[in-house]
Amino acid sequence: MTRRTFFLPALSGLAGCLRPRRRRLNVFNWSNYTARQTLPRFERETGIEVRLGVYESDEEMLARVLSGNSGWDVAFPSNYYIGPMRDLGLLARLDHRRLSRLDALEARFARPSWDPGLDHCVPLYWGSSGILANPQLAPVPEAYSSLWDPLYARRITMLDDPAEVYGAALKKLGRPLNASAPADLQAAHTEALRQKPLLRAYLNAEARDLMVAGELAACQTWATTAQQAISSAPHLRYVYPEDGFALYADCAVILRESRRKDLASLFLDYLLRADVAAEIAAETFTATAIAGVRKLLPEPVARMETLFPSEETLRRGEWFEPLPAAAQRLRDRLWTELKSA
Amino acid sequence: MTGRLRTLALAPAATLLALTVGAPFLILAAYACLSRGVYGGVMPPWTLENWQRLADPLYAGILARSFLVAALSTLLCLLLAFPLALYIARSTRRKNLLLALVMLPFWTSLLVRTWAWMFLLRDTGLVNMLLMKAGLISAPLPLLYNWGAVVLGLVYAHLPFMVLPLYAALERQDPALAEAAADLGAREWQAFWRVTLPLAAPGIRAGVLLTFIPCLGTFLIPDLLGGGRTILVGTFIQNQFTTARDWPFGSAVSLALMAVVLVLLWAEVRRRKEPLL
Repeated sequence: MTRRTFFLPALSGLAGCLRPRRRRLNVFNWSNYTARQTLPRFERETGIEVRLGVYESDEEMLARVLSGNSGWDVAFPSNYYIGPMRDLGLLARLDHRRLSRLDALEARFARPSWDPGLDHCVPLYWGSSGILANPQLAPVPEAYSSLWDPLYARRITMLDDPAEVYGAALKKLGRPLNASAPADLQAAHTEALRQKPLLRAYLNAEARDLMVAGELAACQTWATTAQQAISSAPHLRYVYPEDGFALYADCAVILRESRRKDLASLFLDYLLRADVAAEIAAETFTATAIAGVRKLLPEPVARMETLFPSEETLRRGEWFEPLPAAAQRLRDRLWTELKSA
Repeated sequence: MTGRLRTLALAPAATLLALTVGAPFLILAAYACLSRGVYGGVMPPWTLENWQRLADPLYAGILARSFLVAALSTLLCLLLAFPLALYIARSTRRKNLLLALVMLPFWTSLLVRTWAWMFLLRDTGLVNMLLMKAGLISAPLPLLYNWGAVVLGLVYAHLPFMVLPLYAALERQDPALAEAAADLGAREWQAFWRVTLPLAAPGIRAGVLLTFIPCLGTFLIPDLLGGGRTILVGTFIQNQFTTARDWPFGSAVSLALMAVVLVLLWAEVRRRKEPLL
């Protein structure tokens, strides 16, 4: 390397430091909510640089932002984390004058039970958990109660998540998904204990590959994960259990600690844009909360029952709610007992 | 070396240890005596409740099972590693190559290697496929998501930690000692049993410590290869800091685990009346 070729990049590097710094926004998101062009297009249009961090669970996200100086500006908690995060003082109040497209939300997300005034969150994506089945291996279980049938012994998995496993047990018992009385949790635990010998394992994302490989007859899973499996193995079928199932919505929030709330508002408004939402839905197989977007999706995606259940099916679904502290503690203990059994 | 120079040279390591071991230890100790925040974190008042919960047979059972699994894995590691270390120590030409092969797995992340085991052990994995093709079995064997898979994963991951200290101890042994034993009429196995093995004791102790303690605390391997059906103390502690969001209890369990290991080490030192390692 001659001295000049070394000198020039060094000089331009120095100039880069002297130039006013680009405006940057730190976005903490689930791994599957950005399409390839989502962030580059935003950066081109606004000149704002986006740093994306991803997480795999609400707990992980909460543990990081709990300190109040995590450095993140925008996050995407599930609906049942909005209340607790608001009570902990972690969420900024949204400035509706800066969110021009809020009225694009579907009716049921315009006044959601967890934040009726949309004061702290914008619901953007939603989905369900249910059963993914392989009709080639065994009769399709149409209800959660079927997953207690010895017919499926060692050929099924449940999610590795106390809310989902006990939720399924509560639906089998015909009780509300969010039942939190000690007697309800104990009853659900007894059912889960009875089911454990029939299970191959408690798995989250790994179940997808086992279903595609034909190693499992059925598994409890999220609709998005199920759709990914179905796209590579079309004979698989996603079932909305007859005895009921869980629904969740992931919502964009601006953290109170953020020093770039105006940029964050700009980003939220961008995610509310129909073409942006359509691209995300089509590429990542997630249902969008924005009305009219379904029309913009490619035909096969728009017709996916997995992502867009009928109104009739939806009536069997229940939204997860936060658990009272005492119930949370009891459920954690029962979950440890279940795993150790 | 003069006294002042020694202090100066030790200062960076001592500071680093104080910051990375001492401080987190004190934080854990404080957390373990506080109450849980509902959504993670800790809050007042100070309490001993986390320690009282440890007496619950449920948690004692998890601890006991973890010790059993770690002990079994360590024993298997020792049985596999000893002949290998002996072979490498006594081979003349390819010593460095063989040692490099033992270390080779460290070039890849443990996470990736554990996933590789999952692909091997699955129903449609390589092992089951080969056995079925060979006509030895008609249905896939349940190799994954059980205790066998967990122990296999632990042995696989920790084998190098057993081989290296054993090799170091065996390599130092003068081959003339075995020859002398033979001259004095010992058969080969007698020479091994009464000369080679006792002289390798420091290596065995170091290897057992380096294998047993990480086996006890690991959460990645039991979680992935056990399929969430099994719970060991490492997975349990991790769970307290994530899903269960009970940081104080998680801290108390970590400290209890540390205490049990220290007591065992101390008892061993006392028994042998000699310095550790």
